Amino acid sequence: MSNTKDFIVEQLKQQIAGFKHEVKEQTVGKVIKIGDGIAQISGLSDVMMSEMLKFSSNKESEIRQPEAGPPRAENPKSEIRHGVALNLEEDSVGAIILGDCSSIKEGDEVKSLKRILEVPVGNSMIGRVVNPLGKALDGKGEIIADKFYPIEKIAPGVIARESVSEPVQTGIKAIDAMIPIGRGQRELIIGDRQIGKTAIAIDAIINQKGQNMKCIYVAIGQKESKIANIAAKLEEHGAMEYTTIVLAGASDPASLAYIAPYAGCAMAEYFLDKGEDVLIVYDDLSKHAVAYREISLLLKRPPSREAYPGDVFYLHSRLLERSCNLNKEHGSGSITALPIIETQAGDVSAYIPTNVISITDGQIYLEPDLFYQGNRPAVNAGLSVSRVGSAAQIKAMKKVAGKMRLDAAQYRELAAFAQFGSDLDEETKNKLERGKRLVEIFKQDQYKTVSAANQVLIFFAITSGLLDNISVKKINNFEEGLNKYAKNNGQDILQEIADRGELSEKLEEMMKKLVEDYKSTIDLEK
Amino acid sequence: MKITAKQYAESLYEAVQNRNDSQIKVVINNFFSILVQNNDIAKAEDVVVEFEKIWNIEQGIIKAEAMSARELDKNTVKLLNSHIVELSSAKKVILDQKINKNILGGTVIKYEDKILDGSLRMRLSELKSEMVK
Repeated sequence: MSNTKDFIVEQLKQQIAGFKHEVKEQTVGKVIKIGDGIAQISGLSDVMMSEMLKFSSNKESEIRQPEAGPPRAENPKSEIRHGVALNLEEDSVGAIILGDCSSIKEGDEVKSLKRILEVPVGNSMIGRVVNPLGKALDGKGEIIADKFYPIEKIAPGVIARESVSEPVQTGIKAIDAMIPIGRGQRELIIGDRQIGKTAIAIDAIINQKGQNMKCIYVAIGQKESKIANIAAKLEEHGAMEYTTIVLAGASDPASLAYIAPYAGCAMAEYFLDKGEDVLIVYDDLSKHAVAYREISLLLKRPPSREAYPGDVFYLHSRLLERSCNLNKEHGSGSITALPIIETQAGDVSAYIPTNVISITDGQIYLEPDLFYQGNRPAVNAGLSVSRVGSAAQIKAMKKVAGKMRLDAAQYRELAAFAQFGSDLDEETKNKLERGKRLVEIFKQDQYKTVSAANQVLIFFAITSGLLDNISVKKINNFEEGLNKYAKNNGQDILQEIADRGELSEKLEEMMKKLVEDYKSTIDLEK
Repeated sequence: MKITAKQYAESLYEAVQNRNDSQIKVVINNFFSILVQNNDIAKAEDVVVEFEKIWNIEQGIIKAEAMSARELDKNTVKLLNSHIVELSSAKKVILDQKINKNILGGTVIKYEDKILDGSLRMRLSELKSEMVK
């Protein structure tokens, strides 16, 4: 017994003997003003822009009264708070506090950590719901990170980049056909509230299963209930195996909402550096701009249009510029960004929407009228574009769906025009009939993504006129049946489309035969 | 145009530079009459604070604080004084002593916005974090 005791004491002595202490000079500041998540700090003369600060209450030890009372939990109030220096002024520093600021008092000591704000990144983040500082929010235990990445990073330059060449299959027919997205692209999803913006992003994430893609969903100022639903849905579809959710909730301070997309992007850059492909969704950047406006106004930066600060364009441009498609010499990874913007009453010409439209490589515009007519997803074919994605579309898709966006846009105009007169020439009538069927095909339920091969099959059927003698109401049933039939009788065809990505004449013949065979099995009159 | 306390203090410092005692008296009298004229007499206190800051910077004087668990003897204070002068390259140090039992032993020196923590408490907490590793 006493032997082990001696042994322990001896070991401790050895450990202590190895301990060297040196007094280091540290820069400290003092909180002179605190409130609304913003602190004014005096001192800290050598602090860097966006450097991490540590707030610790120094009064606490003097007030503490050791005697009497029940034993308390160890220093309940001495929780350390972190902040970020944002305003470096002549004799003070303006900082945002990451988290609750109610425990910080005037006169508290502030130390600078000599490090730009960084977040934990790594494979352990996958499948988790975290806050912008990388802390777990899902109750699945602490996350042990591989590395720390700075949240602000200069985007890769021209030398490292390559033009977009590989597709991101969203599994949404209207998008994959008309507004294709490539790996490394930034495609804006824009529309009013409650119109299915998030639904598109979530479907795109669900469809990445088996596509060799990591996904990050950044929720900025979103309701926690909505995120709980999304996490459950992703789990249900097995999408959490490759997805991270970064959540800055509606009740979190603006500082967390402000850093959330940058933190998410830093987590994406970890996979990028490993040469992997990442899909990142920013939901949504209008709330991000609002959070930044709040911070800027509280820091007394001068307001400009709509009270946003002068650098609100740079706020989003530097974030979205970090999406990229790297060339082989730089690891050939990519970050595809799907930023979301919420418009007010369909006004795309407001300040933030126009900014983000001009930064991104195209937009998916969702329209309330279409939504209420039952065309869901309510993608407006005329106003939606993808500036680089067509280069990434697989050849088979390009062949069957190349002119579909134009057709769909023309149909809408023609349909509006045709309401006035009944006697139309044959050609117009045909176009209208074809258009009606096209609109039907683009209707798609949430969480029901369609593989690229199946999309090619149905688009082939409509463009080659094989659906012209099927009534418009039956189109959806027909498609469903065709997919089932193809699964049983045409698996080789689908496989060949998926493998080769090209349509040979022989393959087209086979597809035509498949559709006609299926047509003969059903009663067209019914 | 509003004149800030800092601007007042700066001009006052310029005015009193290289003057003898009797001249300074006149300058201060004039200064206060200007304050009254501008209806800025309420700023007088802030001006004094700012003036002290400017004076200290220009004359190379810094204020420092030494916190210890027990009262320091004169020799230690002298040593500390010369140490701070060396560190901060100031000409003169005004040392303010404080007693805080909570630091257990050693001293904590503060000057400008720098802090040198040589206390026993700090050492113990560092030892603790080292051992936990």
